[in-house]
Amino acid sequence: MKRLFILLFGASLMTIGCDVHEGPPGVTNTEIIIGNVQDLSGPMKELGKLLPSGSNLYFDYVNQGGGVYGRKIRMLVEDGQYNPQKTLTAVKKLIEKDKVFCLYNVIGTSSVEAVRPLLEEAGIPLVAPATQSGTMSDMSRQGARYIFHTDTGYDRQASILTEYALGMEDNLKIGLIYQDDDYGENVLKGIGEAETKFSISVQKESFQRGASEFTGQVMNLIKGGCTHVIIAGIVKEPIIIMKTASRMGYFPQFLGISPTMDHRVALAAGAAGEGFISVNFAQLWNSNYDVPNLYRELCQKAGIPEKMMGMYHYYGFSTAMVLVEGLKRAGKMLTRNKLISGLESLKNWDGAGIQQITYNRNDHSGAEAVMLIQVNSGVQVPISGWLK
Amino acid sequence: MNTLITDLSQEIVSGIALGSIYALIALGFILIFKATEVVNFAQGELMMVGAYVNFFIIQRFTGDMNVPTGWYFLMGLIGSILFAIVFGWFLDLVINRPMRDEPVFSIIMATISMGIMLRALVSMVAGTESLVPLSPFGDAHFKIIGVIISMLDLIIIIGTVVLVSAFYYFFNKTRWGIVMQATSEDPIAAQLMGVPVKRVYSLVWIFAAIVAAISGVLLSPRASLIDTNMGLLGLKAFPAAVLGGFGSIPGAIIGGIILGVIETVSMGTLSFHFHWVKEINDIIVWIVLIAVLMIRPNGIMGMEKIKKV
Amino acid sequence: MIKGRYEDEDLKWIPFLIGLVFLIPFALKGMTFSYKYYLYILNIMGIYIILTVGLDLLSGYTGLISLGHAAFMAIGAYSSAILVDQVGLPFILSLIVSPIIAGFFGFIIGFPALRVSGMYLGLTTMGFGFIIRRLIIAMREWTQGSGGLVVSAPEIFGFTIKGDWANYYLVWTLALLVIVAARRIVKSKIGRAFMAIRDSEQAAQASGINLAKYKMLSFFISGILAGLAGTLMAHTNHFISTDHFDSMLSIYFIIMVLVGGAGTIYGAVIGTVFIVLLDNIFVPKLESLLHVMISIKSGELESFVFGLIMFLSIIFQPTGLYGLWLKIRIYWKLFPFNPKKRFT
Repeated sequence: MKRLFILLFGASLMTIGCDVHEGPPGVTNTEIIIGNVQDLSGPMKELGKLLPSGSNLYFDYVNQGGGVYGRKIRMLVEDGQYNPQKTLTAVKKLIEKDKVFCLYNVIGTSSVEAVRPLLEEAGIPLVAPATQSGTMSDMSRQGARYIFHTDTGYDRQASILTEYALGMEDNLKIGLIYQDDDYGENVLKGIGEAETKFSISVQKESFQRGASEFTGQVMNLIKGGCTHVIIAGIVKEPIIIMKTASRMGYFPQFLGISPTMDHRVALAAGAAGEGFISVNFAQLWNSNYDVPNLYRELCQKAGIPEKMMGMYHYYGFSTAMVLVEGLKRAGKMLTRNKLISGLESLKNWDGAGIQQITYNRNDHSGAEAVMLIQVNSGVQVPISGWLK
Repeated sequence: MNTLITDLSQEIVSGIALGSIYALIALGFILIFKATEVVNFAQGELMMVGAYVNFFIIQRFTGDMNVPTGWYFLMGLIGSILFAIVFGWFLDLVINRPMRDEPVFSIIMATISMGIMLRALVSMVAGTESLVPLSPFGDAHFKIIGVIISMLDLIIIIGTVVLVSAFYYFFNKTRWGIVMQATSEDPIAAQLMGVPVKRVYSLVWIFAAIVAAISGVLLSPRASLIDTNMGLLGLKAFPAAVLGGFGSIPGAIIGGIILGVIETVSMGTLSFHFHWVKEINDIIVWIVLIAVLMIRPNGIMGMEKIKKV
Repeated sequence: MIKGRYEDEDLKWIPFLIGLVFLIPFALKGMTFSYKYYLYILNIMGIYIILTVGLDLLSGYTGLISLGHAAFMAIGAYSSAILVDQVGLPFILSLIVSPIIAGFFGFIIGFPALRVSGMYLGLTTMGFGFIIRRLIIAMREWTQGSGGLVVSAPEIFGFTIKGDWANYYLVWTLALLVIVAARRIVKSKIGRAFMAIRDSEQAAQASGINLAKYKMLSFFISGILAGLAGTLMAHTNHFISTDHFDSMLSIYFIIMVLVGGAGTIYGAVIGTVFIVLLDNIFVPKLESLLHVMISIKSGELESFVFGLIMFLSIIFQPTGLYGLWLKIRIYWKLFPFNPKKRFT
């Protein structure tokens, strides 16, 4: 018994190996491995299928052309279930076990916040986190130097939207109905800024994530006499809110933050959703510009079903383009630091079908403008140019 | 003052509709519990399955995105009920038989795991995208004494009342119903009296599945999007069932409605006048539940169960 | 006679196991470059073990159902994060104070426990879990609401404990202490009182056991342990958020206790080890295997397999993995005298 013990002890001591590094992890002469964490089985599992599919659509296209400096891109997708702890574990696995070169499109605001220490520890960049929270580009937070945001933050959206609403007519009262979580908190920040800037006060109603009952909140908005209502929800909430309001004979001008741009809102809200204005921070996937056209062409070639094509799928596609541009600019001798400096060299770059993207050492927010989309006779049409 | 009353009435009416859905789900719980002492934590998932089945049946006949007419809706309803009958029978086989003598704890966990599996299965089969169900009643609504109520809500309330009354009548006035009550109180004595206990259990699960399917069908248009997380509403129905007294059928309606109304009013008028209420909107149901349990540990209409040593 | 055999504990295995636990990181480092990932998984496992041991004391030994136990973990985590980062309490003190705060909340939930029982208690604890979560979000100034909180690394006597390697030793030292302490509680008068309450409240009362006192004690102890787990989680993960401590997590913990075998302490340990490994290592391997054959969206498969294992283990092996282990051991000991009946 004792001997066995000593033997094992000795054996394990002898196996203390040493780490050998050759170049950055995840990069070989033929391949670049990137890590993605999506929600594959949790509350946002829809996106878990659409986003990586869109990204892979572009990666396949690039790989067919020989890849970036001869290296093909391979994306690994882990399941974070939209849960910060699970995402942490998944990112840990990608960094330590799969040794990915960089992280990409990790979804969930609090999930990304959770992995900041890991980014700092490993010195690994995270490109295009899949969330529009303004906190992504907050340079005062840990690991900010490694995160590159490609979307206009919720706070900016809220602030621009308020400004736009104020410009619509005089004598109005703005109301806000928001989801009480980190999404809503970021929106509140933007609203707060607008309130100070324009010396107005916005009536605020909140609801819990996943709620499907809004009678109370809508009635409060009526009581408050709001003429313009900003909805900070996702898809289900704007639909039900607008329908509830319409049933009560309440027809304010509804405006929505980016997630409400989903075409299903117009579809399911029907007549109640007529005139709804929502915020978009990228080009419409079905518009007539270079990148959307390329997108649709590739979708057709790859046989992507029509059901899948849309805002989210396009999001995966266009953010992939940003990543690839960064990889290209990093040069043939690819290291993580060179990816970072490659991305930081982007200035008013419009090649990803989003909007003009700019990064520099102190600013990783990328996109700052929004475009407004309105539902006219059931169809979404842009009604403004790029607003800052 | 006048507007306050109209507002409150509006919220109460809306709360009653919401509460009816809770009541239906709670009814499913209570049915199973009354007969078999099993607490079915997967009742919400059963509802979700019913909603999905209904959606697919309707979709087959009306194509994508077309508003189903009354007939198709009825067909969908009947289809889901038929499916529920089979499914309920299957569930009884799988859960009830093996779990008969296990402690309460294990039964709860078994039904929870069943719920997890159902959710995963439905995702695998039906895909992960949320579906958009369309209400056959469209946006029709009435205005009665200043309070607006939608056709859909009205149907939900009426449907619930009808169902609950039907079950109440069944359990208390018909032969089979009394037999089932007897079985729940003392299965051994019942068996000795010649009651086919196993068949009674199957029937109960079938009933619960039917109730779940109907609540799923009614909830879909109201929720505007169907996805596999619908079952989580089932969790909220628990306090409703307990509030009303876990062995009592009329208790389910009372509990459900009380909770529905409390929730809606707290989100509305209460939040408007007292801002801090916003913080507790989603847990007010649980607070009420715990408070009630403290005063009446068996619910409002529940009966004290004397435990024999 | 046979009962004595079930209680048989080979105490001489324990130093060996402890030694093994301390050597594992070295072995891992030698075996693979990704050792940090595996250490991380082991750390989570150790933290969860501290909690599930407490949960076993509450549910397995005292028979009180708790469907909201993750809430106590959250209380411990947030208390420690706030005390250390905002109030400036040294980590060592927080390691003692935060669990006590959580235990205190356990005490609070103990009150309703005296009035309700069985499934009603389960619902009460579930509601409690939701309420605590909301409470944490509502205290926005300290907790950053639902956005989550960044937490610093533990500092003990000037040494900062950072990195998976150091975390491992911190976590597992405490875990081992907790397991030993729990076994001693179980074998003491307190443990016997717990079991008496579980088996028959009326008989226990008739024997002179103060129900109220012991039920509260049970909640208190399990609360402390959960709070300790939460504190460790906060400082080794450096980030906590209310999203993580949801009812699903509470259910996970119960699964760990049940699958391992409730009412044995070792069962809780084995169950936790099994479930954590299953979740992070076995299921992904299974998925990649299946991907070759069928293309299923991976996420659901994991949940499904999870639910299935839980379900099957409850139906076919209610005594859990530890029960299975005991059966196997007895089988060996009695060989070749193995009446078939004993092992069905």
